Amino acid sequence: MTGKKILVCLLLGVVLAAISSGCGRRRTPAVTFVVGGAPAEIDFWQNLVDEFRQNTGIQIELLRQPTDTNQRRQGLVTSLRARETDPDVFLMDIAWLAQFAASGWLEPLDEHVTAAGFDTATFFPGVVDLADRFEGKLVALPVYVDGGLLYYRKDLLEKYAFQPPQTWQELVNQSKSIQADMRKSDSAFNGFVWQGAQYEGLICNWLEFTSSNGGGFAVSDGRITLDSSANVAATQFMSDLIHTYKISPENTYTEMKEEEVRRHFQEGHALFERNWPYAWSLHQADDSPVNGKTAIAPLPHFEGGRSVSTMGGWHIGLSQYSDRKQEAFEFVKFVLSYDTQKRLALTLGWNPGRRDVYNDSELLAEMPHFAALKSVFENLQPRPLLPYYTLISDAIQPSINSVLAGTLSAEEALAQAQRKAQQIMDQYEKQ
Amino acid sequence: MKDSTARNSLTYTGIVLALLFCLLPFIYMAAVSFSTRADFLTVETPFTFTLDNFRAVLTDTSLHFTAYFRNSMLISLVSAAICVAIASLAAYAITRLEFPGRMLLLFFALAVSMFPQIGIVGYLYKFMASVGWVNTPQALILPYIAWILPLSLWILVSYFSQIPRELDKAAFMDGCTYRQTLIRVILPVAAPGVFSVFLLSFIFAFNEFMFALMLTTNYKARTIPVGIALFQGLHGQTPWGNIMAASVITTLPVVILTLIFQRRIIGGLTSGALKG
Amino acid sequence: MKSNNPLRQADPLTSQLRAAALFIAPLLLLIGLFILIPVIGTIIGSLFRDVAFLPRRFVGLANYGRLFSDDRFWQAVRFTLLFIAISVPLEIVLGLALALLMDADTPVRGLLRACVLIPWAIPAAISGRTWELIYNYSYGLANAIARWLHVSSDPVNWLGTSFGAFSAVIVADVWKTTPFVAIILLAGLQAIPKELYQQARVDRAGLFTAFWSITLPLSRPVVVVALLFRTIDGLRIFDLVYVLTHGGPGGSTTSVSLYAYEYFLTSDFGYGSAISIVLFLMALALSLVYVKVGRFGPQAQ
Repeated sequence: MTGKKILVCLLLGVVLAAISSGCGRRRTPAVTFVVGGAPAEIDFWQNLVDEFRQNTGIQIELLRQPTDTNQRRQGLVTSLRARETDPDVFLMDIAWLAQFAASGWLEPLDEHVTAAGFDTATFFPGVVDLADRFEGKLVALPVYVDGGLLYYRKDLLEKYAFQPPQTWQELVNQSKSIQADMRKSDSAFNGFVWQGAQYEGLICNWLEFTSSNGGGFAVSDGRITLDSSANVAATQFMSDLIHTYKISPENTYTEMKEEEVRRHFQEGHALFERNWPYAWSLHQADDSPVNGKTAIAPLPHFEGGRSVSTMGGWHIGLSQYSDRKQEAFEFVKFVLSYDTQKRLALTLGWNPGRRDVYNDSELLAEMPHFAALKSVFENLQPRPLLPYYTLISDAIQPSINSVLAGTLSAEEALAQAQRKAQQIMDQYEKQ
Repeated sequence: MKDSTARNSLTYTGIVLALLFCLLPFIYMAAVSFSTRADFLTVETPFTFTLDNFRAVLTDTSLHFTAYFRNSMLISLVSAAICVAIASLAAYAITRLEFPGRMLLLFFALAVSMFPQIGIVGYLYKFMASVGWVNTPQALILPYIAWILPLSLWILVSYFSQIPRELDKAAFMDGCTYRQTLIRVILPVAAPGVFSVFLLSFIFAFNEFMFALMLTTNYKARTIPVGIALFQGLHGQTPWGNIMAASVITTLPVVILTLIFQRRIIGGLTSGALKG
Repeated sequence: MKSNNPLRQADPLTSQLRAAALFIAPLLLLIGLFILIPVIGTIIGSLFRDVAFLPRRFVGLANYGRLFSDDRFWQAVRFTLLFIAISVPLEIVLGLALALLMDADTPVRGLLRACVLIPWAIPAAISGRTWELIYNYSYGLANAIARWLHVSSDPVNWLGTSFGAFSAVIVADVWKTTPFVAIILLAGLQAIPKELYQQARVDRAGLFTAFWSITLPLSRPVVVVALLFRTIDGLRIFDLVYVLTHGGPGGSTTSVSLYAYEYFLTSDFGYGSAISIVLFLMALALSLVYVKVGRFGPQAQ
């Protein structure tokens, strides 16, 4: 055997292996469900998948992803853009749901829903109508919903005979007086902690402040407006919290993300906290210093405005290229069933996308705060549901963060952000 | 006298510092992998020895580590083997045959190795997607071979050019063809060099990250570097114990290989460098 | 490298050419298919607006024009250039020191060489995660050492500040690639004739003088090669920043490669391709600079 023959055989072998493993689309024997998250969450999904398989006999497999939302997106984008038959069903972050919908990767669900007699009215209509419809077609459904909340130390407010603040000014006043007192024994005490670091969470917070002043993202007809006077005032207020009223710590704009904020509050160093609902069960844990001293309320607003929470959460959808759409939709129904949604709440502390679960007596006995959550979730404000939203967010984060850092005025920063956002919009709007 | 003791103490201090510098992260990696908690350096929590992390990584199928390992080994071995074969052929031609553009070919290979991977991976993805090769071994093997060929070529050319022509002469007198000469005469003589190239190619393929990240999405096809990079937990609950255990298992063979074959590896790299 | 085989020299050129063609064909085929064609594809792709949710359209140099006003692109360029400006000289200096140690005739030479190689041999992803843990705010090794040395009372937030993250990337990269530089420099050191050192000793020249007048000048060509390779390599840095800092905080450690990747991720292939081509041009420009400077060096001598 000459060397060259060996080489040719090797190459042929590679090519043959390639061809036999499937040039073109491979049919897989099972429905592939792709989801990521913390180990506890994955365990939950694995149990669900096993149960589904047993109940229905449908072959289904769980494909595990990392936790980070961008990495989950990357895995899905790679497969969907390549028109792979796997994954069949998956969860999507609301932040990039619009990208998937607009790219034509999601199977329209209307027919499946009507054929199965599935009632979509049981889900929060605000969420479904805004986030899950693309060009009139239903393409996803919410598995769980998220919205920003105000956590507060009820023991401290009671001590000073304060009611939970309705307006931002009330929050400032209450913080200043209580902070002055608490600082005598705890130098690390802050009135109000929230997410101001340069990342997506900053935009979520910014949206809440600005919308509660009548502002926010104004998108219409290929134009986006960010530098309205309401926005400028609200953004300036965010900066004032740190530099003028000094009730928020200096590292708000450098380090404060969800976990940093939660830890600060949980260790007893804060009066008010803005965070997602996930923090509740952690605050109420047995070894938490603020166990039993925490309460939640809707976020405050400016005079003449109303309380707004940014819409977060994860939604479930089917791949356009799936080879097992029928069976996959059965799984979707299972995930969105009353029973499963209730277990989601009880086991993981998540907020179900179904409204009727919030009235469940057993659930309310375990998690009484869900009653308050329900009203918050009826009025969620989404970030712009544009396919290129993440690009806009990445572009304006530095500008808004500079206001918090004190290096740019609110007018300048928002004018800058406006320019960049409009540039991106011009780039990517249909032409 | 003073000069040489000064030199000696300088040298030995330097060696100790160098060893510390190179090995400290590994020692830390190993320590964490054997510990029940990753935060044993803080004042409150002590170090407790455990093999649980290793057990979890090796037996828990939901962590997919064994799949990653299998994929990495298969892809690296095949890529390295084919790369060495192809590079040997070309190196033989360059060092022994007369043809125009010999030096040009060498410099062409050098130029190609300067391309940034990111400039290739986008289109490579499109290609693989269009033939349905996303999440397959060949999607990684073929680009790896192409990517490692330039360096392999340079090293083999430097090894082959040191082999005296008399050997070829003798082979031709025995009536060998070019390829028979290559297989029966040159390769055995250059075996150490060929082995070095194989080792280096294996290491490069094993450690490659970007292509594997963009061309694979599920554990059935993913390799170890990507698997370990994406091992994550929620909001500050990163499973460091598991990650470090997986890292130790991965690096152990590499460390052993390096310890045994350090001379080969260094030889390979230096001959490539000298040519440059 | 001329073939001086007397029998084969008589071989008609065509037969040699035919054999040569066969022998180099696989190499050309693979490199052509999996490197050249993708590069050409990327160049062409950069001239299109190629987004998953819009129809594909030819836009000429519009993507490149966009780069000019793209702040985050310039931030990535600044980071990448600053990164190589600091890490490469560090690696050369430390690499030279390491090479001298590896060259010295000590009983632990083999062990030293092997240990030095290990950081280079392991995947960047693994070293990235290890350094990520080392720099962990609450319980990492770095803060433990800082506390032990009483450097600061509070734990340092390495990965949460842009300065901290930048230094973390530098340290991790220097740790990983200095061995490679050291090995290349070692080759150069070994090429220096030992007689020169012996002569220096006879002339009673001290340690430093020997280093200054013999080692440095004669290792210059190897240093230039090492500089060139490390600079080009440093320009394309991706693995480390992806794993260690994810390009953060706030995009301050995003390299140009990582920035292009982010656009491939959001499916704007056209823009990502344009960024990649610009990176390639940067590498090309830098190599030309080196070639020019290298030319003048020996002449000056």
